[in-house]
Amino acid sequence: MTVRTIDVRERVMAQNDMLAAEVRERLARAGTVALNLVSSPGSGKTTLLERTLEVLGEELGLAVVTGDVQTQNDADRIARRTSRLVQAVITGGACHLDARQVLTALDALDLDRTRVLFIENVGNLVCPASWDLGEDAKVVLFSVTEGEDKPVKYPKMFRQSRYAVLNKIDLLPYVPFDVNRAVRYAREVNPDLRFFFISALTGEGLDQWFDFLRGVTARMGAT
Amino acid sequence: MHELSLAMEICRIAEERAGHAAPRLVTVGLEVGDDAGIEAANLEFCLETLLTLPPFRGARAAITRAGGDGLRVSYLEIDDDGPDD
Repeated sequence: MTVRTIDVRERVMAQNDMLAAEVRERLARAGTVALNLVSSPGSGKTTLLERTLEVLGEELGLAVVTGDVQTQNDADRIARRTSRLVQAVITGGACHLDARQVLTALDALDLDRTRVLFIENVGNLVCPASWDLGEDAKVVLFSVTEGEDKPVKYPKMFRQSRYAVLNKIDLLPYVPFDVNRAVRYAREVNPDLRFFFISALTGEGLDQWFDFLRGVTARMGAT
Repeated sequence: MHELSLAMEICRIAEERAGHAAPRLVTVGLEVGDDAGIEAANLEFCLETLLTLPPFRGARAAITRAGGDGLRVSYLEIDDDGPDD
Protein backbone atom coordinates (compact mmCIF):
# COMPACT_ATOMS: atom_id res chain seq x y z
CA MET A 1 0.00 0.00 0.00
CA THR A 2 1.43 3.36 -1.04
CA VAL A 3 0.08 6.05 1.20
CA ARG A 4 0.15 9.62 0.00
CA THR A 5 -0.49 12.48 2.44
CA ILE A 6 -2.46 15.56 1.47
CA ASP A 7 -1.77 18.57 3.63
CA VAL A 8 -5.11 20.19 4.44
CA ARG A 9 -4.89 22.46 7.50
CA GLU A 10 -8.45 23.68 7.15
CA ARG A 11 -10.49 24.91 10.07
CA VAL A 12 -13.69 22.91 10.25
CA MET A 13 -15.69 26.03 11.12
CA ALA A 14 -14.23 28.03 8.23
CA GLN A 15 -17.29 27.71 6.04
CA ASN A 16 -19.69 28.59 8.84
CA ASP A 17 -17.57 31.60 9.73
CA MET A 18 -17.59 32.75 6.11
CA LEU A 19 -21.38 32.54 6.03
CA ALA A 20 -21.59 34.31 9.39
CA ALA A 21 -19.52 37.14 7.95
CA GLU A 22 -22.02 37.37 5.09
CA VAL A 23 -24.91 37.57 7.59
CA ARG A 24 -23.05 40.27 9.51
CA GLU A 25 -22.45 42.28 6.37
CA ARG A 26 -26.09 42.11 5.25
CA LEU A 27 -27.29 43.16 8.70
CA ALA A 28 -24.81 46.03 8.87
CA ARG A 29 -25.89 47.27 5.45
CA ALA A 30 -29.52 47.29 6.60
CA GLY A 31 -28.60 48.86 9.95
CA THR A 32 -30.07 45.89 11.82
CA VAL A 33 -28.74 44.82 15.21
CA ALA A 34 -28.87 41.03 15.74
CA LEU A 35 -29.01 39.36 19.15
CA ASN A 36 -28.49 35.62 19.46
CA LEU A 37 -30.65 34.42 22.36
CA VAL A 38 -29.32 31.25 23.98
CA SER A 39 -30.41 29.20 27.00
CA SER A 40 -31.32 25.72 28.18
CA PRO A 41 -34.77 24.44 27.18
CA GLY A 42 -37.47 26.02 29.33
CA SER A 43 -35.61 29.08 30.61
CA GLY A 44 -38.14 31.39 28.98
CA LYS A 45 -36.68 32.56 25.67
CA THR A 46 -40.01 32.43 23.89
CA THR A 47 -41.93 34.12 26.71
CA LEU A 48 -39.34 36.91 26.87
CA LEU A 49 -39.67 37.40 23.13
CA GLU A 50 -43.47 37.49 23.37
CA ARG A 51 -43.30 40.24 25.99
CA THR A 52 -40.63 42.13 24.11
CA LEU A 53 -42.60 42.05 20.87
CA GLU A 54 -45.76 43.25 22.60
CA VAL A 55 -44.03 46.36 23.90
CA LEU A 56 -41.30 47.12 21.39
CA GLY A 57 -42.34 45.20 18.28
CA GLU A 58 -43.42 48.25 16.28
CA GLU A 59 -41.24 50.83 18.03
CA LEU A 60 -37.99 49.04 17.31
CA GLY A 61 -39.04 47.12 14.25
CA LEU A 62 -38.34 43.72 15.75
CA ALA A 63 -38.09 40.52 13.77
CA VAL A 64 -37.45 37.02 15.04
CA VAL A 65 -35.82 33.90 13.66
CA THR A 66 -36.66 30.92 15.84
CA GLY A 67 -34.73 27.67 15.81
CA ASP A 68 -36.25 24.45 17.04
CA VAL A 69 -35.23 20.86 16.66
CA GLN A 70 -38.77 19.91 15.77
CA THR A 71 -42.13 21.75 15.39
CA GLN A 72 -42.62 25.43 14.68
CA ASN A 73 -44.54 25.91 17.92
CA ASP A 74 -42.33 28.74 19.16
CA ALA A 75 -42.63 30.63 15.89
CA ASP A 76 -46.41 30.20 15.98
CA ARG A 77 -46.55 31.39 19.61
CA ILE A 78 -44.51 34.48 18.83
CA ALA A 79 -46.33 35.24 15.59
CA ARG A 80 -49.62 35.48 17.51
CA ARG A 81 -48.21 38.45 19.43
CA THR A 82 -46.95 40.52 16.57
CA SER A 83 -47.51 41.66 13.04
CA ARG A 84 -43.75 41.61 12.68
CA LEU A 85 -42.06 38.85 10.78
CA VAL A 86 -41.25 35.59 12.46
CA GLN A 87 -39.28 33.03 10.53
CA ALA A 88 -39.09 29.45 11.81
CA VAL A 89 -36.08 27.24 11.27
CA ILE A 90 -36.56 23.55 12.04
CA THR A 91 -33.13 22.04 12.47
CA GLY A 92 -34.39 18.46 12.05
CA GLY A 93 -32.39 17.01 14.90
CA ALA A 94 -29.44 19.38 15.00
CA CYS A 95 -28.75 20.85 18.44
CA HIS A 96 -27.92 24.39 17.27
CA LEU A 97 -28.53 26.90 14.51
CA ASP A 98 -25.76 27.50 11.99
CA ALA A 99 -24.95 30.54 9.89
CA ARG A 100 -26.35 29.05 6.70
CA GLN A 101 -29.80 28.65 8.26
CA VAL A 102 -29.77 32.25 9.45
CA LEU A 103 -28.59 33.51 6.07
CA THR A 104 -31.46 31.66 4.40
CA ALA A 105 -33.93 32.98 6.98
CA LEU A 106 -32.82 36.57 6.27
CA ASP A 107 -34.30 36.24 2.79
CA ALA A 108 -37.76 35.98 4.32
CA LEU A 109 -37.33 39.11 6.47
CA ASP A 110 -37.75 42.72 5.44
CA LEU A 111 -34.41 43.86 6.84
CA ASP A 112 -34.87 47.49 5.84
CA ARG A 113 -37.80 47.67 8.25
CA THR A 114 -36.01 45.67 10.96
CA ARG A 115 -33.87 47.48 13.51
CA VAL A 116 -33.45 44.57 15.89
CA LEU A 117 -33.36 40.93 14.88
CA PHE A 118 -33.67 38.29 17.58
CA ILE A 119 -32.30 34.88 16.77
CA GLU A 120 -33.88 32.41 19.19
CA ASN A 121 -31.39 29.56 19.19
CA VAL A 122 -32.17 25.92 19.96
CA GLY A 123 -32.50 25.41 23.74
CA ASN A 124 -29.03 24.14 24.61
CA LEU A 125 -26.14 25.75 26.48
CA VAL A 126 -23.44 23.65 24.84
CA CYS A 127 -23.51 23.48 21.06
CA PRO A 128 -24.79 26.94 20.06
CA ALA A 129 -21.64 28.38 21.67
CA SER A 130 -19.57 26.92 18.83
CA TRP A 131 -21.52 28.47 15.94
CA ASP A 132 -21.14 32.11 15.04
CA LEU A 133 -24.40 33.20 13.41
CA GLY A 134 -23.28 36.68 12.42
CA GLU A 135 -24.93 38.25 15.47
CA ASP A 136 -23.76 41.46 17.18
CA ALA A 137 -23.96 39.84 20.60
CA LYS A 138 -25.10 36.70 22.36
CA VAL A 139 -27.62 37.08 25.17
CA VAL A 140 -27.62 34.12 27.56
CA LEU A 141 -30.80 33.49 29.51
CA PHE A 142 -31.15 31.30 32.59
CA SER A 143 -33.74 31.07 35.32
CA VAL A 144 -34.02 30.69 39.07
CA THR A 145 -35.52 27.20 38.75
CA GLU A 146 -32.16 26.03 37.44
CA GLY A 147 -28.90 25.66 39.34
CA GLU A 148 -27.04 28.88 40.13
CA ASP A 149 -23.89 27.14 38.90
CA LYS A 150 -25.04 27.19 35.25
CA PRO A 151 -22.32 29.74 34.38
CA VAL A 152 -19.48 27.53 35.62
CA LYS A 153 -21.05 24.40 34.16
CA TYR A 154 -21.31 25.99 30.72
CA PRO A 155 -18.43 28.48 30.81
CA LYS A 156 -17.97 28.70 27.05
CA MET A 157 -21.49 30.00 26.55
CA PHE A 158 -21.27 32.52 29.38
CA ARG A 159 -17.84 33.65 28.25
CA GLN A 160 -19.10 34.30 24.74
CA SER A 161 -22.19 36.19 25.83
CA ARG A 162 -22.14 39.92 26.39
CA TYR A 163 -25.44 40.00 28.28
CA ALA A 164 -27.09 37.66 30.78
CA VAL A 165 -30.78 37.60 31.64
CA LEU A 166 -31.85 35.89 34.87
CA ASN A 167 -35.52 34.99 34.41
CA LYS A 168 -38.40 33.84 36.65
CA ILE A 169 -37.35 36.04 39.58
CA ASP A 170 -41.01 36.03 40.69
CA LEU A 171 -40.33 32.46 41.86
CA LEU A 172 -37.40 33.40 44.13
CA PRO A 173 -39.47 33.08 47.35
CA TYR A 174 -40.23 29.45 46.48
CA VAL A 175 -36.88 28.11 45.30
CA PRO A 176 -33.46 27.80 46.96
CA PHE A 177 -31.76 29.87 44.25
CA ASP A 178 -28.98 32.22 45.44
CA VAL A 179 -28.86 35.21 43.06
CA ASN A 180 -25.57 36.56 44.40
CA ARG A 181 -23.87 33.24 43.96
CA ALA A 182 -25.17 32.97 40.39
CA VAL A 183 -23.83 36.43 39.54
CA ARG A 184 -20.51 35.64 41.20
CA TYR A 185 -20.15 32.42 39.18
CA ALA A 186 -21.03 34.28 35.99
CA ARG A 187 -18.49 37.03 36.66
CA GLU A 188 -15.85 34.38 37.36
CA VAL A 189 -16.08 33.17 33.79
CA ASN A 190 -16.91 36.56 32.25
CA PRO A 191 -16.26 39.70 34.32
CA ASP A 192 -17.80 41.96 31.66
CA LEU A 193 -21.18 40.25 31.57
CA ARG A 194 -24.05 42.72 31.98
CA PHE A 195 -27.01 41.34 33.93
CA PHE A 196 -30.77 41.79 33.72
CA PHE A 197 -33.02 40.38 36.43
CA ILE A 198 -36.51 39.79 35.13
CA SER A 199 -39.72 37.86 35.24
CA ALA A 200 -40.95 37.54 31.68
CA LEU A 201 -44.23 36.27 33.14
CA THR A 202 -45.06 39.11 35.55
CA GLY A 203 -43.08 41.81 33.76
CA GLU A 204 -40.84 42.58 36.74
CA GLY A 205 -37.51 44.05 35.66
CA LEU A 206 -38.49 44.24 32.02
CA ASP A 207 -38.26 48.03 31.87
CA GLN A 208 -34.46 47.85 32.14
CA TRP A 209 -34.42 45.23 29.41
CA PHE A 210 -36.57 47.40 27.16
CA ASP A 211 -34.42 50.48 27.83
CA PHE A 212 -31.36 48.46 27.02
CA LEU A 213 -32.86 47.41 23.68
CA ARG A 214 -33.77 51.00 22.83
CA GLY A 215 -30.22 52.00 23.67
CA VAL A 216 -28.57 49.18 21.81
CA THR A 217 -30.12 50.24 18.54
CA ALA A 218 -29.07 53.85 19.08
CA ARG A 219 -25.56 52.87 20.10
CA MET A 220 -25.00 50.51 17.24
CA GLY A 221 -26.08 53.20 14.82
CA ALA A 222 -29.36 51.74 13.58
CA THR A 223 -31.91 54.31 12.50
CA MET B 1 -23.51 16.93 21.43
CA HIS B 2 -22.80 18.64 18.11
CA GLU B 3 -20.06 16.22 17.11
CA LEU B 4 -22.23 14.73 14.35
CA SER B 5 -22.58 18.14 12.67
CA LEU B 6 -18.81 18.60 12.90
CA ALA B 7 -18.18 15.11 11.56
CA MET B 8 -20.40 15.87 8.57
CA GLU B 9 -18.48 19.06 7.87
CA ILE B 10 -15.18 17.17 8.21
CA CYS B 11 -16.42 14.61 5.66
CA ARG B 12 -17.39 17.44 3.31
CA ILE B 13 -13.90 18.90 3.56
CA ALA B 14 -12.32 15.46 3.09
CA GLU B 15 -14.43 14.74 0.02
CA GLU B 16 -13.61 18.13 -1.47
CA ARG B 17 -9.86 17.77 -0.91
CA ALA B 18 -9.57 14.08 -1.85
CA GLY B 19 -11.63 14.51 -5.01
CA HIS B 20 -11.89 11.31 -7.07
CA ALA B 21 -9.53 9.62 -4.61
CA ALA B 22 -12.14 9.82 -1.83
CA PRO B 23 -12.86 6.04 -1.95
CA ARG B 24 -9.15 5.43 -1.30
CA LEU B 25 -9.02 7.70 1.73
CA VAL B 26 -7.53 5.78 4.66
CA THR B 27 -6.93 8.42 7.32
CA VAL B 28 -8.35 11.82 8.22
CA GLY B 29 -5.92 13.65 10.48
CA LEU B 30 -7.61 16.03 12.91
CA GLU B 31 -6.43 18.55 15.45
CA VAL B 32 -8.87 19.06 18.32
CA GLY B 33 -8.34 21.98 20.70
CA ASP B 34 -8.65 21.27 24.41
CA ASP B 35 -11.08 24.17 24.78
CA ALA B 36 -13.03 23.46 21.60
CA GLY B 37 -15.93 21.95 23.54
CA ILE B 38 -15.59 18.76 21.55
CA GLU B 39 -15.77 15.25 22.92
CA ALA B 40 -12.98 13.58 20.93
CA ALA B 41 -14.24 10.02 21.47
CA ASN B 42 -17.70 11.02 20.30
CA LEU B 43 -16.32 12.79 17.25
CA GLU B 44 -14.27 9.71 16.40
CA PHE B 45 -17.34 7.50 16.73
CA CYS B 46 -19.37 9.74 14.39
CA LEU B 47 -16.55 9.81 11.85
CA GLU B 48 -16.07 6.06 12.01
CA THR B 49 -19.65 5.68 10.86
CA LEU B 50 -19.72 8.46 8.26
CA LEU B 51 -16.42 7.38 6.72
CA THR B 52 -17.91 4.01 5.77
CA LEU B 53 -20.54 5.70 3.62
CA PRO B 54 -19.96 6.54 -0.06
CA PRO B 55 -17.80 7.99 -1.43
CA PHE B 56 -15.69 6.72 1.48
CA ARG B 57 -14.88 3.10 2.21
CA GLY B 58 -13.91 2.92 5.82
CA ALA B 59 -11.29 5.57 6.51
CA ARG B 60 -10.30 6.17 10.12
CA ALA B 61 -9.86 9.37 12.08
CA ALA B 62 -6.52 10.15 13.71
CA ILE B 63 -7.09 12.73 16.42
CA THR B 64 -4.32 14.85 17.90
CA ARG B 65 -5.03 17.12 20.86
CA ALA B 66 -3.85 20.72 20.70
CA GLY B 67 -4.12 23.85 22.78
CA GLY B 68 -6.77 26.47 22.09
CA ASP B 69 -10.36 26.08 20.93
CA GLY B 70 -9.82 25.19 17.29
CA LEU B 71 -10.79 22.17 15.24
CA ARG B 72 -8.85 21.54 12.06
CA VAL B 73 -8.53 18.90 9.41
CA SER B 74 -4.75 18.74 9.31
CA TYR B 75 -4.11 16.07 6.66
CA LEU B 76 -5.59 13.25 4.59
CA GLU B 77 -3.92 9.96 3.76
CA ILE B 78 -4.78 8.31 0.46
CA ASP B 79 -3.89 4.75 -0.51
CA ASP B 80 -2.60 5.19 -4.04
CA ASP B 81 -2.64 1.44 -4.71
CA GLY B 82 -6.29 0.95 -3.82
CA PRO B 83 -9.05 0.52 -6.42
CA ASP B 84 -10.78 3.72 -7.55
CA ASP B 85 -14.32 2.36 -7.50
